[in-house]
Amino acid sequence: MVPSTPTAISFENLTFTYRQNKHPALNNIQGEIGGGNFVVVMGHEGAGKSTLCYSINGLIPGFFPGQYQGRVVVKGQEVAGKKVAEMSRHVGLVLQDFEAQLFSSNVELEMAFGLENHHLPRLEIERRIQRYLSLVGLEELRRREPASLSGGEKQRLAIGSVLTIEPDILLMDEPTTDLDPQGREEVVSLARKLKEEGHTILLVEHEPETAVRADQVWLMRDGHIVAQGSPAVILPDIPMLESCGVKPPATIELFSAMGWPGKPLTVERAVSLIGQHNLTGRRTLNFEVGFPPRSREKSILKAEGLEYVYPAYAVKALGGIDLQIQEGEFIAILGQNGSGKSTLAKHFNGLLKPTAGRMLVQGRPTTAYSHREMAEEVGYVFQNPDHQIFARTVIEEVEFSLKVLGKDSPTIQKRVAEALEAVGLQGYEKKVPFSLTRGERQRVAVASVLAAQPQVVILDEPTTGLDYRHQRSMMEMLERLHEKGHTIIIITHSMWVAAEYAKRIIIMKDGAILLDGPTRNVFFAEKKLAEASLHPPPLVRLSNILGTQALTVAQMVLELRT
Amino acid sequence: MILFLYLDKDTWIHRLDPRTKILTAGILFSICLCFNHPLYLAVISAGIMAIAIWARALSNIWKLRYILILLVIFSTLLWPFFVKGPTLLWSWRSLQISQESLLYGIGMGLRLATFAVAGLIFLSTTRHEEFINGLIRMGMPYPFAFALSTALRLVPTFVGAGATIIQAQVSRGLDLETGSIFSRVGKFIPQAVPLFIYAIRHTNYLAMALESRGFNPQSPRTFYYEPHLSRKDYGVLAFFVFLLSTMLYMRLGLSLGAVMPGRL
Repeated sequence: MVPSTPTAISFENLTFTYRQNKHPALNNIQGEIGGGNFVVVMGHEGAGKSTLCYSINGLIPGFFPGQYQGRVVVKGQEVAGKKVAEMSRHVGLVLQDFEAQLFSSNVELEMAFGLENHHLPRLEIERRIQRYLSLVGLEELRRREPASLSGGEKQRLAIGSVLTIEPDILLMDEPTTDLDPQGREEVVSLARKLKEEGHTILLVEHEPETAVRADQVWLMRDGHIVAQGSPAVILPDIPMLESCGVKPPATIELFSAMGWPGKPLTVERAVSLIGQHNLTGRRTLNFEVGFPPRSREKSILKAEGLEYVYPAYAVKALGGIDLQIQEGEFIAILGQNGSGKSTLAKHFNGLLKPTAGRMLVQGRPTTAYSHREMAEEVGYVFQNPDHQIFARTVIEEVEFSLKVLGKDSPTIQKRVAEALEAVGLQGYEKKVPFSLTRGERQRVAVASVLAAQPQVVILDEPTTGLDYRHQRSMMEMLERLHEKGHTIIIITHSMWVAAEYAKRIIIMKDGAILLDGPTRNVFFAEKKLAEASLHPPPLVRLSNILGTQALTVAQMVLELRT
Repeated sequence: MILFLYLDKDTWIHRLDPRTKILTAGILFSICLCFNHPLYLAVISAGIMAIAIWARALSNIWKLRYILILLVIFSTLLWPFFVKGPTLLWSWRSLQISQESLLYGIGMGLRLATFAVAGLIFLSTTRHEEFINGLIRMGMPYPFAFALSTALRLVPTFVGAGATIIQAQVSRGLDLETGSIFSRVGKFIPQAVPLFIYAIRHTNYLAMALESRGFNPQSPRTFYYEPHLSRKDYGVLAFFVFLLSTMLYMRLGLSLGAVMPGRL
């Protein structure tokens, strides 16, 4: 491919090994990115995507020591030997964790920081803040404290604070991972807009829906670039995507499984192809969406007029929630950041006590349980496994709650073995938890909660920060637990995870339940979902259009064949 | 939890140069030390409360009202046992309370609370960037000032992470409310280790983010909020220096305002 504009970045046989590692993180990287191109980099956890970003702005080799061979040339200048601060004039870097990037006491100072570093005159700083605040759409929030912004706003501020330096190249290392669907859309649209303004964009992403909008997709595996090309060339190659731990677009999977002609990357394209070739007829679906009928069975979790007010803010986070959850359900709670999902879930195991109303576990109010008793009824796995891992070995970590609960040692041994088996970590007993990958640490965290054998397991964002392969295996593990009889409740931003695994969906909006019902019914109510700024995953959107019951590719293939 | 005390208001006091605010806070602390008679201190407290109202910082003082009230009560109750005065009111074995020691206790309570209020006014009206800016203008080298500023900035972040870590461990059955001192120390490890590792990771990450935005402590930089010492700053400083000198003269020259003349 010949770039239309001069090369912005070129890699010449770049190999880099971090000092403490044996294997190279980047292995003989070759490639060129033309000026003004929008490139999406995809690959499994540990494939070298972040390392690739750092090699462009000089953090490698400047900040991270290691063995460096080959060259990276940015705008005709070799990166090695340049200071990161110097490179920042040409290359901006936005990181995944927006909390850690923002440190000023208001939005305009955050925007000014880079310019202050480059010693620009105050009038020029003023001019650029004005220009870039309006570009990232934050003019109204100029005097606000960054901590008080929403996730999408924070990430746009992080992008804006890099843009003020006016670099030609913008690197974004998984900027949407921690965002809700709306925040993700805000960031991706901004990336498109910047590309149109002439910036070169390199975006690390997991979602194929984002990659569709790029000029080029680079696939990485084990430190190598295995494929480079336009989305239309790369994204239909299902075996290659899967070998790189990347989720293939659902429409491609469907068309290839059905043997239909064409490779549609979007739902709209798929619909037009289906119509064009008359591939299948439309059926009619009709659902009543609403609360499921109250069953007579005893609920394991029951909220009655539950209200919660955060003491520090005096803001009502939950207003009058009525909810029943039966033993053995698999539930996903969806909603934007700040809609009250976590606040509600933290009532399920008594971490928060209702301000008004009652929260019952097995018919008994959570206020009547001690923390120990609760750990054996309802387990709660936090989003970031690093918030709980403290022990030297996996086995010590997993047996912690059993020791706290005062179990005898044969019981402890048996339960630890069972918990490790459930999460697929047999053989990891003696390993140091901190040295494991993010996906493995997440499993250790789940095992350490499972060891207490709670009937209900709540997981806050169990798939965030994992690549597609690990997301699948995490969810399959939860499915196995569910089959064993556990009640599983997940809080998630990932629509396809909710659609494929949960049996019941609860949508939260502004501290109240907007929708509650069987998964298929809830995802059919697209208008109602839009009220909570959510929409179904691509396959379910197609399923709604075609009038099928299917929530997964496999189900749809089966349904269309009969 | 809201841990930032800065209140984004536009008052006359907010607009003062940070150097003026740093120096004035120092003078106010000294003024609190001038007298130990509760009546004199009450006048000073009233004056500083008036400044707090003017600076629209009352909401912060309201937030910390229990701590301020406790300071006054404990000081009033405890001080009388530790200082001795001539007019005995009550005694039992070696314990005795005199009229002077009681007044001194009240005075010390007011002094502590007033210290706290003066500090709160400063924090409510000064951004941490301005504070650092002021220190740099007063001669502190930039790398030091930046380290101090970052430390201030990171406190709320770490407190937030700490709260999440405690919740995560409590969910696993860790019981923090009961047990002997020794068992409680043991329970500290599951909280401290993750926080420590979080802090290291976070700091490293922040360093990357800073460098990527061109941060270089050695090179010259612009300050977007450039402080200016204006006529009103000089006026404020002159007023408080005059006030402090007058009070020092009253105490040292005229021996006024002391229930316990030998004590601070």
